[in-house]
Amino acid sequence: MNSFIKKIFSTLSQKPWEAEQAAIDTEHTGQTFNLSNQMSAVIIIFGISSVLFSLIFTGYLYSLPPEQDTTLILRTNLLWINTLVLIFVTYFFDKIRKDFNKKITNKIKQNLIFVGALSYLFLVLQLLLWYQLMISGNYVSTNTYFSSFYFFTALHGIHLLGGLFFWGKVTSKIFKLQEKDYAKEEKNINVLSVYWLFLFIVWFVFFAIMFVYNDAVIAFCKSLIS
Amino acid sequence: MSDEIDNKQSIQAQSSETMNQYSGSAAADIDYVRPAEIPEQDLYHGHSFITKWVFCQDAKVIGVQYFLTAVFTGVVGLILSWLMRLQLGFPGLAGFMTAEHYYQFVTMHGMIMVVYFLTALFLGGFGNYLIPLMVGARDMVFPYVNMISFWMFFIAVAVLMASFFVPGGPTGSGWTLYPPQAILEGTPGSGMGILLMLVSLSLFVIGFTMGGLNYLITILQARTRGMTLMRMPLTVWGIFTATVLAMLAFPALLVSSIMMTLDKVLGTSFFMPTILKAGEVLEYGGGSPILFQHLFWFFGHPEVYIVALPAFGIVSDLISVHARKNIFGYRMMVWAIVGIGALSFFVWAHHMYVSGMNPWFGFFFATTTLIIAVPTAMKVYNWIITLWRGNIRINTVMLWCLGFIVTFVNGGITGIFLGNVSVDVPLSDTYFVVAHFHMVMGIAPLMVIMGAVYHWFPLVAGRMLHEGLGKWHFWITFLGAYSIYFPMHYLGFIGVPRRYFEMYDSPYMTSAIGMNEFISLAAFIVGAAQFILIFNIIKTLKTGKPAGKNPWKANSLEWHTSTVPPEHGNFGDRLPVVHRWPYDFSVPGAKEDFIPQTTPPSEVVHTEVEKT
Repeated sequence: MNSFIKKIFSTLSQKPWEAEQAAIDTEHTGQTFNLSNQMSAVIIIFGISSVLFSLIFTGYLYSLPPEQDTTLILRTNLLWINTLVLIFVTYFFDKIRKDFNKKITNKIKQNLIFVGALSYLFLVLQLLLWYQLMISGNYVSTNTYFSSFYFFTALHGIHLLGGLFFWGKVTSKIFKLQEKDYAKEEKNINVLSVYWLFLFIVWFVFFAIMFVYNDAVIAFCKSLIS
Repeated sequence: MSDEIDNKQSIQAQSSETMNQYSGSAAADIDYVRPAEIPEQDLYHGHSFITKWVFCQDAKVIGVQYFLTAVFTGVVGLILSWLMRLQLGFPGLAGFMTAEHYYQFVTMHGMIMVVYFLTALFLGGFGNYLIPLMVGARDMVFPYVNMISFWMFFIAVAVLMASFFVPGGPTGSGWTLYPPQAILEGTPGSGMGILLMLVSLSLFVIGFTMGGLNYLITILQARTRGMTLMRMPLTVWGIFTATVLAMLAFPALLVSSIMMTLDKVLGTSFFMPTILKAGEVLEYGGGSPILFQHLFWFFGHPEVYIVALPAFGIVSDLISVHARKNIFGYRMMVWAIVGIGALSFFVWAHHMYVSGMNPWFGFFFATTTLIIAVPTAMKVYNWIITLWRGNIRINTVMLWCLGFIVTFVNGGITGIFLGNVSVDVPLSDTYFVVAHFHMVMGIAPLMVIMGAVYHWFPLVAGRMLHEGLGKWHFWITFLGAYSIYFPMHYLGFIGVPRRYFEMYDSPYMTSAIGMNEFISLAAFIVGAAQFILIFNIIKTLKTGKPAGKNPWKANSLEWHTSTVPPEHGNFGDRLPVVHRWPYDFSVPGAKEDFIPQTTPPSEVVHTEVEKT
C-alpha cells in the first residue's frame, strides 16, 4: 500500500516537459500496473462492489429497529453452515491457484468441480435459509432488519451467480484441454480465485457486523461515550 | 515570443538537451523507443450494416451512438423546459398544463439533463471517442462489453421515455425522487412512472459500469509506448477522474433505486417511516427518508463533478490549442482534477442543510464545500494565464471556451454563497439555487460541449463546421443564457420559491411577473438557437469544407491517425510512439508553432520550451 501511494505521488510530481523526465518517459511501455486486463477489471469491480455493500451495511446500521433481536438470524444453524461452505469454496479455489503456480495439474479438474458444487450448495442453502425465515413469519417487509438481510444476501447471491457464469466458461475450457495446456487458463483462474476471495470477505464482514452489532455491543459503546 | 522575454527562465527542450548529452551521436539514439511489450489487440471488424453501425464494437462508433442518444434526450429535456417556462412566464397559456404535468416536466427535465444528457454525453460520447485515440490504443480493452454498455444505456433511455406513455405518466416527485412522497399516491406518476424511472436508473448504472471499466483499464493499461500518465492530455485526465468518481458514486444511486423499488413493490420500508394517511396507518414503518437523502446526495454531489471534470479537461486542451500556448501549470491542473474528485465525496450533505442536521456536521460540510473552491480557482487562474499573451484565435471554439470560463466563475461564486449554512437556509428553496446550478453545471458544461463539438467535428466527419453559423450560435446562446439566469438570481433574492406551479395571488407574482415573462422569452430563443448547430451539422455533412489532416494544428494523438476520420483500429499498421507531452505550442526555434506528440527529438533539435 505504501509503495502504491508513493507511486501515485511520484507520478503526479513528474514534469513531463523537462528533458530528464522526457528521456525516462520515452522508455515507458504504456502500462501502469503489471496486471492483466482481466485482473484489473476484477480489482475495479471489487472497488465498486465494496462501495455497494458498504452502503447497504450503513443503511442496515442506520435503520436497525430498536425492538429487533439482532441475534435472531445467527441462531439458525444454516447461517453458520453457509459460512463454512464459503470457507471451503475459497480454500479450494486458492488451492487451484497454488497448484497452477506449482505446475501441479492432476487435481485441478476435481477441485474446480468442488468449487462449483460447493458454490451452488451455498446458494441452495441460502434459499433454504430464506424459506426458514419466511415460515417463521419473517418476510422481506417485516421490518428493516429483515429487509436488509434479504437485500444483502440477494445481492451477494447475484454476485456469486455472476462468478459461477465465468467459472462455467473457464471450467468447460479446462475440461476440453489436455493437462499440459492448462496454463492457457491460468490468468482466468487467478482472476476467479481472487473474485471468490472477495466474495468471502464481503460475507465475512457482513457476518461479523451481524454478530458484533447487537444490543450488548451498542450498550457497551454507549457506556464508553458516556 | 513575448513570453520568452517576460519569463526569463527557459530551458533547452528535451530534444536538444538529449542531443547535447550524446553530443552528436547518431540520431537513432535520441529517438530510441523500447520495443512494444503489449501485444497487439485483436479487433472484430464488422462487415454488415448491423455489425458496423448498430451492434458495433468500435469505440468511435459507440461514442457517436452515445452522443446521438444523449442529444435526443437533451432535446426532450429542452422541450420540457420550454413547457415549464411557458407556464411560469405566461400561466394558463398552455391549456393542457396542470400542476401534475408541471411537476412531471420538472422531474423529467432535471433527471434527463443531469444523467441521460450530460453524463452520457461527456463520458459515453467524448470518453468513447477520445480515450483510445488520445492514449494511442486501437480500441477499448473490452470492445464487446463496451458495446453492451451502450445498449444498456439505450434501453435505460427507452424505459425512461416509456414512462411518458404509461397510466399516470412519468414521476413528478422532483428530480431528487425523495421518498416517501415519490412512491405514495397523490404524487404524479407514483405508480408505473416512478417504477420505470427507478428501473431506468438501475439499468443506466449497470451499463455505465461496463463502460467505466473500459475507460479506466484502457487509460491505465493500454496506452501506447512513451505515453506516461503525465503525458496524457488533460481531457483524458478529466474523463479518467470523472469515471473513478462515477464508479464510486453510482453504486449509491443503484442501491437507493433498488431499495425504493422494493419499498414500492414488496412493501419494505427502507425509506418509509410510519405514515398516517386519511386517518389510517399505512403498512410502512421504521424506515428513514433521510437515509435516502444521504444515499442520493452521496451520488448527487460527485455527479456534479462527473460532469464538470471532463469539461475542465476538455476546455484546458481547447484553450491550449486555440491560444497556441502550452497549458499553464499542467501538474497543478492534474492535481486540481484529482483533488476536486477526492473532495467531492466529502461535501454531499450541503444539499441537506434544510433537512436538519447536527450543527457540527453543518460546519464540517460547509468547510469542505468551501475548500473545493481552492483547486477549482487554481484551474480558473491557469486557464486565464494560459490565455495571457497567447496567440489567441478568436474562432468559435475559443468563444465557447471564454464563455465557459466566465459562466463557470459566475456559477462558482454563487456556490460559495450557498455552501454556507446560514446563507443557504433562506435561499435553499428559491430560484437563486435554480440559477446557481444551471449556471455551474448546466450552461458552463454545455459551453464546453459546444466548443468540443466545433473542435472535434472535423475529426469525426472530415469536414469543418461553418464558422459564421457557429458564432451566431454562440452569441445567441451566451447572451440568452445570461438573460435567463441573471434575473433568476434576483428572483431568488426577493424570495420567489422554486417548484411552484403558479404563484396565485401572492405578492411574488406581481413583483416577478415581468421578469418571468422576460426569462421565458429568452429561454425560448436560447432553446431555438441550438437548432443552428443541428442545421450547421447537416449543412456541413453535405457541403462543408474538407478538414484535411489536423486542421487546428494540434499535438495530441487523435489528430495523427492514419486516416481522417480514423478507421477502426485508429492508427493503421503501427501504433504511434509518443516522444513528448501534448502542449508543445509556439516553441521557440521550432519551424511551426506546434510539435506533435509523435515528433521524435531528432526532428526538433534546436527548439526550446519555456519552464512553467
